[in-house]
Amino acid sequence: MNRSDDLSLPAAHRAWTKRLLGPINETAWNELSWELFARQFARIPAYKRLALGRGTTPKTFQSWKDIPAVPQQLFKRTRLFSHPAARPGVVYETSGTTTGRPGRQYLLDAEVYRAVSVEGAHRAGLFNGGPELFFLMPPPREAPHSSLSAMFGFWQKALRQTGHRFQVRKGNLDLASFRKTLAEAIKRGRPLGLCGTAFSFVHVLEAWTGLPPLRLPRGSWVLETGGFKGRSREIAKADLYRQIARLFSVPDHAIWNEYGMSELSSQAYARGTAGLHQTPPWARVLVCDPVTGRETAVGRRGLVRWIDLANVDSVLAVQTLDLAERTRDGFRLIGRMARTEPRGCSLGAEDLLTGAASGH
Amino acid sequence: MTTRQRLDLLSRAYPRLFPRTELLRLLRAQLGHADALDRWIARDGVRVRARAPGLIYHVCAGNLAVSAWTSLAHGLLLGARNAVKLPGDRDDSTARREILDFVRGLPKQLRGLVETHRTLDDDLFSRADVIVAFGSDATIGNLRARTRPGQKFIAHGHALSLLWIAEPDRLNSRQVRACAVDVLAYDQLGCLSPQAIYAPAGTKIGPLGEKLARALEAEWRAIHPKPPRPLPVAARIAEARDVALALGHRAWLPPKGHLGWTLIHDPDPAFQPSPLHGVIYLRTVAEAKLTAALASVAGRISTVGVAGQMASGQLSSRWEKAFLSLGVSRFCPAGRMQFPPLTWHHDGRPVLGDLVTWIDSELPA
Repeated sequence: MNRSDDLSLPAAHRAWTKRLLGPINETAWNELSWELFARQFARIPAYKRLALGRGTTPKTFQSWKDIPAVPQQLFKRTRLFSHPAARPGVVYETSGTTTGRPGRQYLLDAEVYRAVSVEGAHRAGLFNGGPELFFLMPPPREAPHSSLSAMFGFWQKALRQTGHRFQVRKGNLDLASFRKTLAEAIKRGRPLGLCGTAFSFVHVLEAWTGLPPLRLPRGSWVLETGGFKGRSREIAKADLYRQIARLFSVPDHAIWNEYGMSELSSQAYARGTAGLHQTPPWARVLVCDPVTGRETAVGRRGLVRWIDLANVDSVLAVQTLDLAERTRDGFRLIGRMARTEPRGCSLGAEDLLTGAASGH
Repeated sequence: MTTRQRLDLLSRAYPRLFPRTELLRLLRAQLGHADALDRWIARDGVRVRARAPGLIYHVCAGNLAVSAWTSLAHGLLLGARNAVKLPGDRDDSTARREILDFVRGLPKQLRGLVETHRTLDDDLFSRADVIVAFGSDATIGNLRARTRPGQKFIAHGHALSLLWIAEPDRLNSRQVRACAVDVLAYDQLGCLSPQAIYAPAGTKIGPLGEKLARALEAEWRAIHPKPPRPLPVAARIAEARDVALALGHRAWLPPKGHLGWTLIHDPDPAFQPSPLHGVIYLRTVAEAKLTAALASVAGRISTVGVAGQMASGQLSSRWEKAFLSLGVSRFCPAGRMQFPPLTWHHDGRPVLGDLVTWIDSELPA
């Protein structure tokens, strides 16, 4: 696809996806990021204002590290959609708010998201051995604005799995039925993959306290995502992993964290309590100083900034409030920050916003 | 020890926080007499005396120490034993240390009535006559669920405050400076801190913003020590500035972009929470749309500080009516938002009156 192509055409979307999934060296990465930045700069007024304010335009672009990132909060305040004349075919939303403004990710269609979320999981190694998948989530048709449900639905189709994979139905997680389903799956002897939010696993762990552990077949894994956003109960990651390992009889390295969010199309994965997150080749993470906006030195803490070349329909660069430490090879995610943290007598956004912006 | 003795000890230890005359006024306003805890007082043809709770359990907020100081002072004035659950660690507040400093600064006779705990002490909590809790809705809900029948539970949940500029064109420099004091006092972390400045529709935003920005910078320079700006706080301030930039909202920033304060004009009158730490939104709203603009926080608005009209009288009754319909429980002049009198009805309630019980005697004196 050359630079004059219209990415709003499905064929162009497919061509872009093909480029993303092909080999990307540093030159290609710079070219791709410039193309997408130039396109989005021209078509998304809020992004253009931010970029101009930062003094970065497609003409002054020197490195992908200069690409201005939109704050995650902006997805709650305005429509960031790079096809002004088109109607979005898919809208994913962050958690709802009492002020009526969830963050919204507008996509022309879900094809790029589907392709990269399946390929990303595949390259991370999640599909090795053809695991039988179960999701502690509602199915996509019950949660059409959940990017996480959508992604799990794409995985299910990619692995050609049928049956009741999604364990939350009509807002209810039937734990007895889930346990029975798991027991039957264990008898079949294929590796299993259990996917859900961290909070959903806490729910399972609490409910199954006192019940005997389940012995998942060899090669099985558990994938948690999303932290404890907006929840009053939370437990430390190490405790959660220890309890998951005990309940499902899996080793620590078979517990994965998926780091993604509704405002992005790509995901990073980490294995085990101390694992570092790895992004796919079409996405990168910078750890940045919030004041200077520049990348921190190795070993220093900063905020996670995503450059996601698959975020073709909105904005490729998203500044999160997630805290990380820059490492020599990437980043160590330290914590996902609540929207604001005032506690006590001052009413802050955490109380007005039920749930947080980050996460699918 | 009598009430007056305790009052003297407290006001001598902290004369600026708890002046003697104000404490006396508080006792008289809420108990009817400064000696109501110590002897029978004639009232309406009978004799009454107040009984203090034996034990008060204070669950303190993590944002500011001042609410804990005041709550403790109430308990000490009544002569109750006070158990204090200290707030947890946080990187943008020194509340815990300041509460401990306050307790250390009490005279020995009063200090003996206070004990502090880092975690919730279930035994003391269940034995307390009164629980005074500051915190989020979730915290308040959890604590309330632990109370036993007959135990008094006084909750101070989340609240916010606003500044109202009634006559922007007539705002003098003293009033503008007063607004800046309100915004930056306690790093904007208290429930009495304004999260937004509202002005009537039609206000010329440019000149008003310039004036406020100058006053904020002057006030920031006057603050010592400066409040900290650790990474999470800096991140939220930077985010608010970036959002304003992207939305094309006018923002006034400090010289050299320091993180002390940020003033943003948001053309949407609907309330949105501020990230605090000196970030204040300036909005205009038509009178008819005020209740809609603040609907999301109705019932949670503590104080409305008023600037611009106080010199010529009171808050316009139309605006007053609109704010009252939103559940506002206190109006005050700009510059006084963070400094309510001790007789203030916190969350609309009598702070001492809520704690005591009464004994009536119809027997002849």
